[in-house]
Amino acid sequence: MVSALVTLTVVAAIAWLVWVSLDVASRADTARSVGIAALVVLPIWLVMVIYYAPIEQVQGVVQKIFYVHTPAILPTYLGFILTAVGGIGFLRTRREGWDQLAIAGCEVGVVFCSLMLLVGPIWAKPVWGQWWVWDLRLTSTLILWFIYVAYLMLRGLAFGSDTAKTFSAIYGIAGTAAIPFVYFAVDLAQGSTMHPSNPAREGLPPEMGRTAGVGLIAFLLVFAWLVARRLQLAALEAKAQAARGGDVA
Amino acid sequence: MSWVIAAFAVTGVVLVAYAVRLRMRIAELRSADRQRS
Repeated sequence: MVSALVTLTVVAAIAWLVWVSLDVASRADTARSVGIAALVVLPIWLVMVIYYAPIEQVQGVVQKIFYVHTPAILPTYLGFILTAVGGIGFLRTRREGWDQLAIAGCEVGVVFCSLMLLVGPIWAKPVWGQWWVWDLRLTSTLILWFIYVAYLMLRGLAFGSDTAKTFSAIYGIAGTAAIPFVYFAVDLAQGSTMHPSNPAREGLPPEMGRTAGVGLIAFLLVFAWLVARRLQLAALEAKAQAARGGDVA
Repeated sequence: MSWVIAAFAVTGVVLVAYAVRLRMRIAELRSADRQRS
């Protein structure tokens, strides 16, 4: 039930964000209802984390960090996939909205990837006894973060240039090749990684699975709301840039 | 318990800070847009 809702939220979020990106000026205000939905689901998730999810026997209460660490994974991947979707759309149509979708997806994806990299060590220190280990999952996630931070730096340095947009689109599409590598890093390491395997395959107890699922939905709603707002900002920046260009001319 | 609180606090602070930054920048650009038109 919860996993079906998560899938539905993912599909709906992508479809809605693509729809908004095609006419940001008149559609961005629909983000308000997504923001309200996030504000409803977030407290439910927090109550489930505190009162519903059982305390894990081996790790104790520290295991509850799992509920805030793992929900950040899906928005990270989705943000970077949106960068590729926006890049493909831009290369095919040269429409500004697709390029703005690519930037918005990337920036919000980097925020969630940063959260994963910040929260993971807070769990690792009490459980592993160290903040960080250079194993395949952690290192590949850090490389993924660098790939997309480099994308944002590229965009920041060359705002508005058509060549930069084309190059960024190709870079954003190529960057997604790193996602399956990060996702399957634990399998590729063949037992030599300290990072736990992907939760979907661990067969969590129902209470833990439901809590993690509601967390995923909450984070997806926050993600969608942030991307829509970032799209709105990108559209306003483009308008301001055009006005400045007009003044100069 | 303090580790759990730290993890949730870091997440909350990062997301709220980013959302506030977006809203402020949008408000700033909207205001500039209104002044132009």
